[in-house]
Amino acid sequence: MALIEAQNIVKVYPNGVRANDGVSLSVEKGEIHALVGENGAGKSTLMKILYGLEQPTAGEIRLRDQLVHISNPQVAINLGIGMVHQNFMLVNSFSIAENIALGREGTRAGGLMVDRQKAIRDTDALSKQYGLFVNPTARVDTVPVGMRQRVEILKALYRGAEILILDEPTAVLTPRETVDLFVAIRNLVNEGKTVIFITHKLREVMEISDRVTVMRDAHKVGVVKTAETNEAQLARMMVGREVFMQVDKPPVQRGETVLEVRRLTYVNETGRTLLHHASFRVNEAEILGIAGVEGNGQTELVEVLTGLRAASAGEAFVDGKPVLGHGPRKIREAHVAHIPEDRLTNGVAMLATINDNLIIDRYYRPPCTQVGMLNLNAIRSDCADLINQFSILAPSGELPVGALSGGNMQKVVLARELSSSPRLLIAAQPTRGVDIGAIEYIHQQLVDQRTNGLAILLVSADLQEVMKLSDRIMVMYNGEIVGIFPNTPDLTEEKLGLYMLGAERQPAAEMEMYL
Amino acid sequence: MTFKLSRQQLQLLTVGIIAALLLVGAISWKAYGLSADMSPREMRDAITATVDYQAILFVNLLIGFSTLLMIMQLRGDALRVLLTVGVALIFGYLMTMLFNLDASVVFSRGEFRVSLLSDAVPLTSINYGDELTVELNDPRAETPITEVTHHFTGTAGDVVSVLAFGAERRSKLNMQLTLLDNAGNVLQENLDADDAQKRTFRRYLQSDGDAVVEGFVLPATGFYTIIAKPEADTADVNAEFTLALLSDNAPPVTLAYGSDPVGGIFNKEKTDAPLTTATYKFSGGKGDMVTILAYAFRGETDLDLQVTLKDANGEVLAANNDASAEQVESYRPQLKSTQDAIIQNVILPADGIYTITARPEPLSSSAQLRETVRATNKAYDAFLFGPLSRLNRWVIWIRDALTLIMLGLAVAIVFRAEQFSLGSEGQLYFGALVSAIIGLYFGNVPKTILVPMALLSAATAGFLWGLLPGALKAYLGANELVSTLMLNTIATRFYEMVLTFQLKPPDAGYTSSEWIPNNGLLAPIIDVNGDQITIAVFILIALVLLAWVMIQRTPIGYEIRMIGANIKFANYGGVNTRRTIMLTMAISGAIAGLAGAHLAMGIHRKLILNISVGLAFEGVVVALLARNNPLVVPFTGLLYAYLRTGAQMMERDANISAEVVRIIQAVVILLITAEALVSLFQQRRMKQRDKLMSSQGDTPAPAEGGA
Repeated sequence: MALIEAQNIVKVYPNGVRANDGVSLSVEKGEIHALVGENGAGKSTLMKILYGLEQPTAGEIRLRDQLVHISNPQVAINLGIGMVHQNFMLVNSFSIAENIALGREGTRAGGLMVDRQKAIRDTDALSKQYGLFVNPTARVDTVPVGMRQRVEILKALYRGAEILILDEPTAVLTPRETVDLFVAIRNLVNEGKTVIFITHKLREVMEISDRVTVMRDAHKVGVVKTAETNEAQLARMMVGREVFMQVDKPPVQRGETVLEVRRLTYVNETGRTLLHHASFRVNEAEILGIAGVEGNGQTELVEVLTGLRAASAGEAFVDGKPVLGHGPRKIREAHVAHIPEDRLTNGVAMLATINDNLIIDRYYRPPCTQVGMLNLNAIRSDCADLINQFSILAPSGELPVGALSGGNMQKVVLARELSSSPRLLIAAQPTRGVDIGAIEYIHQQLVDQRTNGLAILLVSADLQEVMKLSDRIMVMYNGEIVGIFPNTPDLTEEKLGLYMLGAERQPAAEMEMYL
Repeated sequence: MTFKLSRQQLQLLTVGIIAALLLVGAISWKAYGLSADMSPREMRDAITATVDYQAILFVNLLIGFSTLLMIMQLRGDALRVLLTVGVALIFGYLMTMLFNLDASVVFSRGEFRVSLLSDAVPLTSINYGDELTVELNDPRAETPITEVTHHFTGTAGDVVSVLAFGAERRSKLNMQLTLLDNAGNVLQENLDADDAQKRTFRRYLQSDGDAVVEGFVLPATGFYTIIAKPEADTADVNAEFTLALLSDNAPPVTLAYGSDPVGGIFNKEKTDAPLTTATYKFSGGKGDMVTILAYAFRGETDLDLQVTLKDANGEVLAANNDASAEQVESYRPQLKSTQDAIIQNVILPADGIYTITARPEPLSSSAQLRETVRATNKAYDAFLFGPLSRLNRWVIWIRDALTLIMLGLAVAIVFRAEQFSLGSEGQLYFGALVSAIIGLYFGNVPKTILVPMALLSAATAGFLWGLLPGALKAYLGANELVSTLMLNTIATRFYEMVLTFQLKPPDAGYTSSEWIPNNGLLAPIIDVNGDQITIAVFILIALVLLAWVMIQRTPIGYEIRMIGANIKFANYGGVNTRRTIMLTMAISGAIAGLAGAHLAMGIHRKLILNISVGLAFEGVVVALLARNNPLVVPFTGLLYAYLRTGAQMMERDANISAEVVRIIQAVVILLITAEALVSLFQQRRMKQRDKLMSSQGDTPAPAEGGA
């Protein structure tokens, strides 16, 4: 008997997007059910419907064979459905125990005071029961991402969740944290919980799930037992065609230095040094990948190099000319393109049209602007070309970017940045939150551009991605560069891991060698 | 550039043109004062007889065009704007009703009079406080008066004093007084006052012969008789004497047959204890036939009266709510409408004191509600159609709209960049000040130079006053909301200071500058008895187009839009956001400065205190209603100015405070900001469309395509 069943769910958004079109999902008690599909396939929408964040246009939901109307998340919680969002919904300035108890906190002194001790005890007990280690008294903003995620899971369990929906839980985790998470998920199932696991990483599906429901283009493609399938088949179901997970990467002789960074340092407003004396070079026709656990200065490095933050010390030269200190325009005019880490914050303006998003770096010069006026015809036709060339799924360039799926949004960014005839591309997390089909596309684009002579600085939290694409790999730890290696077959994840965790540090002379 | 219209756009265009033409027709109809019973020829004459009728038509066509623009720009949202205003109007109607809940008070408020008419001999001839002078033994009279008998009504316990004294000093008369009760028993007699009494009543008593009955306590309520006559020794003396009846007690009767009407004001406003019922007493004799009138005094009042006649025991003898038309006819001029009340020809059953009660006729609650609705309708009629009821009001509407549209444009530009600058007010003050000063001091420069110079200076002043908060924000991180509000205060006070101490002529009675000489004024294109619409219309057309071109077609406009959409994105893309924000606020300021110039050079023609009372904030509403789209601002500005003018008319014609209109305005703002309402409608529309599609078996194919 299915524990929870969604039958023929249809969801049409006000803007006309049909996110679910007759989707059914059946999850049995005690199973780990993976829901996979490309971004925009409708997975998140389906889960939002189960959690009461969205109302289906048609279709019904049954819980233990009872028809239920989940009109809002509170109803879902009362029914024992919990959800852990991709973006954590925690109060950063509260302790972990406070976050977990929030809204259900025990009180003392006649209801006037929050019983913190009880919250801490409860958190401890819950944490031990499910093997989800957290530090109840730590403030949320001081703990690593992995622990925050465990807090989210505990929060759901504290509210009596029997069914846990995990929305892309591994997207923000390091490999080590992912392993921990999987252990925790297995514990949960052993304790009688049911887990719905949304992802597009097939390797994880194979590793953790019992059954898989595959979605594509708002439809359900099929349900398979994990034991009876393989990655290639799932990928085919997801994308609707054969997917080549390998990138075609011909060897290329690297050219002259494009970017040279000298002793770059960044100290934030509170006086913490987040980037310390970083020096490196990126050459034509090479991808320099930066490996490192997130939060070790990569973000600051990228933002300083692209002009979004002012460097505290140090210099950067593009083609021999200093570029820092005059804002992003100057850097862009030195032919530096930038795929920002946080697409929704920096990369696009959701409310603006695709066309407007495509010209942010060039609107002020011909052909976009002629004699002081925007040349709309030229803009439209150029953008139409880009939409075409980069296979952006959009009926018109006049559509707001916010109406596109994550992958297509990223393609808008990619189209803009790669069409700016760059000398250097700084790509931060270029495939984060992007589906397999688009990942494949983006990887191939990056490699092709590099083969054609582009210098690329790649930052990714996904170590495999870095190892797959890079010609050289630079490891950052605690704001410093601790090693630079040529990407030879003998460079293993384990070896890089030692550097990433700060256990090893490359001698300066050796680092010099690989510059 | 080619224009290809899709079917949908064509439909929209058709709808827009029809709506625009209807509007132009309706407004022109009213503005020219046409009516349906005119022949076409008369209509033509009426039109051509109107001053500046071509210009009026031109302006009306512009109104139509702004409507068309609004519909084309906002499409479905156009309905939303109208809906928003509609809902606000309904809400305002309810509010007006609330203010009119006591509308029926007009029937119970006002001055009234009560008259008592009878041919019968009055039972009483003297009252407390009366002094009657009689000439005794007049040799010329046919039957000379030798003694005087008076009747009065008194209440038990009243203390009365009766005096009879010679009217002249050292009168030869020697009076005597007798006080009798109704049965004729003598209660008190007096021949001469003693010295103590003379002192007590020295105002009255002057000679030794005067008589007084002092401080007599009446034993019962009823009639009493006073007989005053000369004592025997002076029985034949021809002289005047005065009979006075004094009492500190309230007279038991207040009305006598044929006496002057009595009255008062019912439910007078702003009194602590308003009069709601008036009671009068009179003494009536058995068989007396009396007629009682209760009527509103002075015209122009809706007071509806009720009158009741009761006998001494409180039994109602007669009552009346409304006089008949014939009665009104026969009792003119006292009675003026059937709302007055009359008790006609009632024969009194016994001697005694009768009570007349006059009060406003009580209203049933349905009548009260009806009256509330009637008053509200009257107010709303003035509100909704007032601005078109006379040509000069139409001028005021358009004139105010010009200012509001300029301010709306100014606000729309900064809001487009998501900068919540509210500095238009201050910029407007500076614009007005600078343009007026130039007009005042260079009055002899030719108009063709002076007017552009003044306008340009006003724009520059606004530009600089906008640049300032922009710079404060860009370089010091000052919140524009706070800084602009502070700068508004500075600008307003500076304006007042210059006006009061520099521009005001020393002999002027109130604070204003001199009139700006003609060379410094915007030339009128329509002039209705001094209320003018000026060439500001053309300036405005240019401004609207420029603002639209700037936002949609220029790099700076693109920057403004991108900063508005996502400032981090703009910054990431290389936009110099600081510079653009400063420039945006400055450009907005320039337009607000021009709005100020329009106030000074086009409307007031001089500087006055409070030249704008929060006009700029109404510009915010205009911009919000137009979704910050410059092409829609003219329509929303006209709409809003119409509501404003209507409000004034309502205030003037229907005596409703302008606060109601403020409430309506606030509701409009609330509704605009309540975007949830909007998505609700959208969702409903989506659902309907979905139903429609599924019923046709037509499922839209999801977007296909390979990555």
